[in-house]
Amino acid sequence: MGSDKIMERWVPQFRKGLLEFIILLRLQQGHSYGYELAMQIKDVTMIEVAEGTLYPLLNRLKRDGLVVSEWQTADVGTPRKYYQITSLGLETLAKMKNTWTETHNSILNLVMQS
Amino acid sequence: MNNMFPITNKTAQTVWNNFDRELIHKLKPLPSEEQSDIRLEILSHLYDAMSDHSSSPNETEEIKLINAISNLGSPDEYLTPLIADILLYQNASKGYPSAILQGLKSSAKKGLMHAFATFVLGMGYFWTIMIFIMAFMHIINPDIGIWYYPTGDISLSFEAQPNAQQWLPTWFSLIGISGSALAYWGLNKVLSYFIARLSKS
Repeated sequence: MGSDKIMERWVPQFRKGLLEFIILLRLQQGHSYGYELAMQIKDVTMIEVAEGTLYPLLNRLKRDGLVVSEWQTADVGTPRKYYQITSLGLETLAKMKNTWTETHNSILNLVMQS
Repeated sequence: MNNMFPITNKTAQTVWNNFDRELIHKLKPLPSEEQSDIRLEILSHLYDAMSDHSSSPNETEEIKLINAISNLGSPDEYLTPLIADILLYQNASKGYPSAILQGLKSSAKKGLMHAFATFVLGMGYFWTIMIFIMAFMHIINPDIGIWYYPTGDISLSFEAQPNAQQWLPTWFSLIGISGSALAYWGLNKVLSYFIARLSKS
Protein backbone atom coordinates (compact mmCIF):
# COMPACT_ATOMS: atom_id res chain seq x y z
CA MET A 1 0.00 0.00 0.00
CA GLY A 2 1.44 3.41 -0.96
CA SER A 3 1.85 6.25 1.54
CA ASP A 4 -0.85 8.31 -0.21
CA LYS A 5 -3.29 5.49 0.25
CA ILE A 6 -2.36 5.16 3.93
CA MET A 7 -2.74 8.92 4.42
CA GLU A 8 -6.16 8.79 2.77
CA ARG A 9 -7.24 6.40 5.52
CA TRP A 10 -5.32 7.99 8.41
CA VAL A 11 -6.21 11.69 7.94
CA PRO A 12 -10.03 11.31 8.23
CA GLN A 13 -9.63 9.09 11.30
CA PHE A 14 -7.24 11.55 12.91
CA ARG A 15 -9.53 14.49 12.19
CA LYS A 16 -12.68 12.69 13.30
CA GLY A 17 -11.07 12.00 16.66
CA LEU A 18 -10.64 15.72 17.17
CA LEU A 19 -14.22 16.63 16.36
CA GLU A 20 -15.56 16.62 19.93
CA PHE A 21 -12.74 18.92 20.99
CA ILE A 22 -13.37 21.23 18.04
CA ILE A 23 -17.13 21.34 18.70
CA LEU A 24 -16.53 22.33 22.32
CA LEU A 25 -13.97 24.95 21.25
CA ARG A 26 -16.49 26.44 18.85
CA LEU A 27 -19.34 26.35 21.40
CA GLN A 28 -17.13 28.14 23.90
CA GLN A 29 -17.49 31.19 21.62
CA GLY A 30 -21.27 31.04 21.77
CA HIS A 31 -24.27 28.86 21.04
CA SER A 32 -24.67 27.32 17.62
CA TYR A 33 -26.79 24.84 15.63
CA GLY A 34 -25.90 21.74 13.62
CA TYR A 35 -25.55 23.21 10.13
CA GLU A 36 -23.65 26.29 11.32
CA LEU A 37 -21.27 24.10 13.32
CA ALA A 38 -20.69 21.84 10.31
CA MET A 39 -19.91 24.81 8.06
CA GLN A 40 -17.59 26.45 10.58
CA ILE A 41 -15.71 23.21 11.20
CA LYS A 42 -15.27 22.82 7.44
CA ASP A 43 -14.12 26.42 7.00
CA VAL A 44 -11.73 26.59 9.93
CA THR A 45 -10.25 23.11 9.97
CA MET A 46 -10.75 21.93 6.37
CA ILE A 47 -12.12 18.72 7.87
CA GLU A 48 -14.26 17.02 5.25
CA VAL A 49 -16.60 14.83 7.25
CA ALA A 50 -20.18 13.97 6.42
CA GLU A 51 -22.23 16.68 8.12
CA GLY A 52 -24.52 14.08 9.68
CA THR A 53 -21.71 12.59 11.74
CA LEU A 54 -21.86 15.67 13.97
CA TYR A 55 -25.22 14.62 15.37
CA PRO A 56 -24.16 11.43 17.17
CA LEU A 57 -21.29 13.46 18.66
CA LEU A 58 -23.59 16.28 19.76
CA ASN A 59 -25.94 13.72 21.29
CA ARG A 60 -23.07 12.18 23.25
CA LEU A 61 -21.81 15.56 24.45
CA LYS A 62 -25.35 16.35 25.54
CA ARG A 63 -25.77 13.06 27.39
CA ASP A 64 -22.48 13.62 29.18
CA GLY A 65 -23.73 17.02 30.31
CA LEU A 66 -21.07 18.95 28.36
CA VAL A 67 -23.65 20.78 26.24
CA VAL A 68 -27.35 21.52 26.46
CA SER A 69 -29.72 22.08 23.59
CA GLU A 70 -32.77 24.21 23.04
CA TRP A 71 -35.14 24.58 20.10
CA GLN A 72 -35.52 28.15 18.88
CA THR A 73 -38.06 29.26 16.32
CA ALA A 74 -37.22 31.81 13.67
CA ASP A 75 -39.49 34.20 11.75
CA VAL A 76 -38.66 32.37 8.54
CA GLY A 77 -37.88 28.70 8.01
CA THR A 78 -37.63 25.78 10.35
CA PRO A 79 -36.86 25.93 14.07
CA ARG A 80 -33.21 25.37 14.94
CA LYS A 81 -31.78 23.30 17.74
CA TYR A 82 -29.12 25.42 19.42
CA TYR A 83 -26.35 23.85 21.46
CA GLN A 84 -24.69 25.63 24.34
CA ILE A 85 -21.66 24.60 26.38
CA THR A 86 -22.26 23.95 30.10
CA SER A 87 -19.97 24.66 33.05
CA LEU A 88 -18.98 20.97 33.01
CA GLY A 89 -18.26 21.36 29.29
CA LEU A 90 -16.02 24.35 29.98
CA GLU A 91 -14.21 22.46 32.73
CA THR A 92 -13.71 19.46 30.42
CA LEU A 93 -12.61 21.71 27.58
CA ALA A 94 -9.93 23.29 29.79
CA LYS A 95 -8.57 19.79 30.51
CA MET A 96 -8.79 18.88 26.82
CA LYS A 97 -6.80 22.01 25.96
CA ASN A 98 -4.08 21.02 28.42
CA THR A 99 -3.94 17.51 27.00
CA TRP A 100 -3.89 18.91 23.48
CA THR A 101 -1.03 21.30 24.27
CA GLU A 102 1.01 18.60 26.00
CA THR A 103 0.43 16.08 23.20
CA HIS A 104 1.05 18.67 20.52
CA ASN A 105 4.36 19.70 22.12
CA SER A 106 5.52 16.10 22.57
CA ILE A 107 4.69 15.21 18.99
CA LEU A 108 6.28 18.42 17.72
CA ASN A 109 9.47 17.49 19.56
CA LEU A 110 9.43 14.06 17.97
CA VAL A 111 8.82 15.57 14.54
CA MET A 112 11.64 18.07 15.00
CA GLN A 113 14.03 15.28 16.06
CA SER A 114 13.17 13.10 13.08
CA MET B 1 -41.37 19.50 5.80
CA ASN B 2 -43.47 20.98 3.03
CA ASN B 3 -45.33 23.19 5.50
CA MET B 4 -42.07 24.74 6.62
CA PHE B 5 -40.37 25.26 3.30
CA PRO B 6 -42.55 24.34 0.38
CA ILE B 7 -40.91 22.29 -2.35
CA THR B 8 -42.16 23.42 -5.73
CA ASN B 9 -40.26 21.07 -7.99
CA LYS B 10 -41.75 17.63 -8.60
CA THR B 11 -38.39 15.82 -8.73
CA ALA B 12 -37.28 17.51 -5.51
CA GLN B 13 -40.56 16.43 -3.95
CA THR B 14 -39.91 12.81 -4.93
CA VAL B 15 -36.35 12.99 -3.58
CA TRP B 16 -37.63 14.40 -0.31
CA ASN B 17 -40.43 11.83 0.00
CA ASN B 18 -37.94 8.99 -0.44
CA PHE B 19 -35.50 10.47 2.05
CA ASP B 20 -38.22 11.22 4.60
CA ARG B 21 -39.66 7.72 4.26
CA GLU B 22 -36.24 6.20 4.93
CA LEU B 23 -35.69 8.59 7.83
CA ILE B 24 -39.01 7.69 9.47
CA HIS B 25 -38.34 3.98 8.95
CA LYS B 26 -34.87 4.15 10.48
CA LEU B 27 -36.04 6.17 13.48
CA LYS B 28 -38.85 3.75 14.31
CA PRO B 29 -37.00 1.90 17.11
CA LEU B 30 -36.82 5.14 19.12
CA PRO B 31 -39.52 6.57 21.40
CA SER B 32 -41.79 8.96 19.46
CA GLU B 33 -40.40 12.06 21.19
CA GLU B 34 -36.84 11.18 20.15
CA GLN B 35 -38.03 10.32 16.63
CA SER B 36 -39.61 13.71 16.03
CA ASP B 37 -36.70 15.54 17.67
CA ILE B 38 -34.09 13.92 15.40
CA ARG B 39 -36.31 14.20 12.31
CA LEU B 40 -36.87 17.90 12.94
CA GLU B 41 -33.16 18.49 13.47
CA ILE B 42 -32.28 16.75 10.18
CA LEU B 43 -35.04 18.68 8.43
CA SER B 44 -33.72 21.92 9.91
CA HIS B 45 -30.22 21.00 8.69
CA LEU B 46 -31.48 20.36 5.16
CA TYR B 47 -33.42 23.62 5.17
CA ASP B 48 -30.33 25.57 6.22
CA ALA B 49 -28.21 23.77 3.62
CA MET B 50 -30.72 24.54 0.86
CA SER B 51 -31.04 28.16 1.96
CA ASP B 52 -27.27 28.65 2.07
CA HIS B 53 -26.80 30.54 -1.18
CA SER B 54 -23.04 30.85 -0.71
CA SER B 55 -22.55 27.16 -1.33
CA SER B 56 -25.01 26.71 -4.18
CA PRO B 57 -26.01 30.05 -5.75
CA ASN B 58 -27.45 29.01 -9.10
CA GLU B 59 -28.54 25.45 -8.55
CA THR B 60 -32.06 24.19 -9.02
CA GLU B 61 -34.19 23.11 -6.09
CA GLU B 62 -33.72 19.38 -6.70
CA ILE B 63 -29.94 19.72 -7.07
CA LYS B 64 -29.80 21.75 -3.85
CA LEU B 65 -31.79 19.09 -2.01
CA ILE B 66 -29.75 16.22 -3.44
CA ASN B 67 -26.52 18.01 -2.48
CA ALA B 68 -27.82 18.77 1.00
CA ILE B 69 -28.80 15.12 1.57
CA SER B 70 -25.54 13.89 0.11
CA ASN B 71 -23.43 16.26 2.28
CA LEU B 72 -25.26 14.97 5.32
CA GLY B 73 -23.79 11.55 4.52
CA SER B 74 -25.30 8.11 4.47
CA PRO B 75 -28.13 7.75 7.02
CA ASP B 76 -26.43 4.56 8.18
CA GLU B 77 -23.33 6.58 9.03
CA TYR B 78 -25.06 9.04 11.35
CA LEU B 79 -28.43 7.53 12.29
CA THR B 80 -27.26 4.02 13.18
CA PRO B 81 -24.75 5.13 15.85
CA LEU B 82 -27.14 7.80 17.09
CA ILE B 83 -30.05 5.36 17.47
CA ALA B 84 -27.87 2.61 18.96
CA ASP B 85 -26.40 5.04 21.47
CA ILE B 86 -29.78 6.40 22.58
CA LEU B 87 -31.40 2.97 22.79
CA LEU B 88 -28.56 1.30 24.66
CA TYR B 89 -28.37 4.09 27.22
CA GLN B 90 -32.15 4.29 27.71
CA ASN B 91 -32.72 0.54 27.86
CA ALA B 92 -29.85 -0.11 30.25
CA SER B 93 -31.14 2.66 32.52
CA LYS B 94 -34.57 1.04 32.43
CA GLY B 95 -33.07 -2.35 33.27
CA TYR B 96 -33.84 -4.18 29.99
CA PRO B 97 -31.94 -7.50 30.15
CA SER B 98 -30.81 -7.44 26.48
CA ALA B 99 -29.36 -3.93 26.88
CA ILE B 100 -27.67 -4.98 30.13
CA LEU B 101 -26.08 -7.99 28.39
CA GLN B 102 -24.98 -5.86 25.45
CA GLY B 103 -23.52 -3.24 27.81
CA LEU B 104 -21.64 -5.89 29.78
CA LYS B 105 -20.37 -7.46 26.54
CA SER B 106 -19.07 -4.14 25.19
CA SER B 107 -17.49 -3.36 28.54
CA ALA B 108 -15.68 -6.71 28.75
CA LYS B 109 -14.04 -6.12 25.35
CA LYS B 110 -12.41 -2.89 26.49
CA GLY B 111 -9.36 -4.20 28.33
CA LEU B 112 -8.39 -5.63 31.69
CA MET B 113 -9.86 -2.95 33.96
CA HIS B 114 -13.14 -3.01 32.07
CA ALA B 115 -13.18 -6.80 32.10
CA PHE B 116 -12.70 -6.73 35.88
CA ALA B 117 -15.46 -4.13 36.28
CA THR B 118 -17.70 -6.27 34.04
CA PHE B 119 -16.99 -9.30 36.22
CA VAL B 120 -17.89 -7.34 39.38
CA LEU B 121 -21.05 -5.98 37.75
CA GLY B 122 -21.94 -9.42 36.38
CA MET B 123 -21.57 -10.95 39.83
CA GLY B 124 -23.66 -8.11 41.24
CA TYR B 125 -26.45 -8.89 38.79
CA PHE B 126 -26.14 -12.62 39.51
CA TRP B 127 -26.49 -12.24 43.29
CA THR B 128 -29.21 -9.62 42.97
CA ILE B 129 -31.31 -11.91 40.80
CA MET B 130 -30.50 -14.88 43.06
CA ILE B 131 -31.63 -13.03 46.22
CA PHE B 132 -34.77 -11.84 44.43
CA ILE B 133 -35.69 -15.41 43.41
CA MET B 134 -34.96 -16.75 46.90
CA ALA B 135 -36.92 -13.98 48.60
CA PHE B 136 -39.85 -14.70 46.31
CA MET B 137 -39.67 -18.47 46.90
CA HIS B 138 -39.40 -17.88 50.66
CA ILE B 139 -43.07 -16.87 50.62
CA ILE B 140 -43.98 -20.45 49.59
CA ASN B 141 -41.19 -22.31 51.38
CA PRO B 142 -40.04 -20.53 54.59
CA ASP B 143 -36.90 -22.73 54.78
CA ILE B 144 -35.40 -20.88 51.80
CA GLY B 145 -33.20 -18.05 52.98
CA ILE B 146 -29.93 -17.02 54.56
CA TRP B 147 -28.63 -19.30 57.28
CA TYR B 148 -25.77 -18.60 59.64
CA TYR B 149 -23.77 -21.06 61.72
CA PRO B 150 -22.35 -20.64 65.22
CA THR B 151 -18.88 -20.66 63.56
CA GLY B 152 -19.77 -17.43 61.77
CA ASP B 153 -20.21 -19.00 58.31
CA ILE B 154 -23.15 -17.90 56.21
CA SER B 155 -25.06 -19.98 53.69
CA LEU B 156 -27.69 -19.17 51.10
CA SER B 157 -29.86 -22.22 51.06
CA PHE B 158 -33.03 -23.64 49.56
CA GLU B 159 -33.56 -25.95 52.57
CA ALA B 160 -33.25 -25.84 56.36
CA GLN B 161 -29.65 -26.18 57.54
CA PRO B 162 -28.88 -28.36 60.58
CA ASN B 163 -27.18 -26.54 63.47
CA ALA B 164 -27.77 -23.22 61.77
CA GLN B 165 -30.12 -20.35 62.45
CA GLN B 166 -32.12 -18.59 59.76
CA TRP B 167 -31.56 -14.86 59.27
CA LEU B 168 -34.76 -12.82 59.79
CA PRO B 169 -37.22 -15.52 58.62
CA THR B 170 -40.22 -13.18 59.00
CA TRP B 171 -38.74 -10.28 57.02
CA PHE B 172 -36.56 -12.12 54.50
CA SER B 173 -39.05 -11.87 51.61
CA LEU B 174 -39.73 -8.18 52.11
CA ILE B 175 -36.07 -7.24 52.64
CA GLY B 176 -34.90 -9.56 49.84
CA ILE B 177 -37.37 -8.33 47.21
CA SER B 178 -37.05 -4.63 48.01
CA GLY B 179 -33.27 -4.86 48.53
CA SER B 180 -32.66 -6.72 45.27
CA ALA B 181 -34.91 -4.28 43.37
CA LEU B 182 -32.88 -1.41 44.80
CA ALA B 183 -29.59 -3.16 43.99
CA TYR B 184 -30.82 -3.86 40.42
CA TRP B 185 -31.62 -0.18 39.98
CA GLY B 186 -28.21 0.81 41.36
CA LEU B 187 -26.38 -1.66 39.11
CA ASN B 188 -28.26 -0.33 36.08
CA LYS B 189 -27.11 3.19 36.95
CA VAL B 190 -23.49 2.03 37.27
CA LEU B 191 -23.77 0.15 33.97
CA SER B 192 -25.28 3.22 32.25
CA TYR B 193 -22.29 5.22 33.48
CA PHE B 194 -19.97 2.59 32.01
CA ILE B 195 -21.83 2.58 28.71
CA ALA B 196 -21.56 6.37 28.54
CA ARG B 197 -17.79 6.11 29.15
CA LEU B 198 -17.46 3.30 26.62
CA SER B 199 -19.13 5.24 23.83
CA LYS B 200 -16.78 8.14 24.54
CA SER B 201 -13.64 6.07 24.29
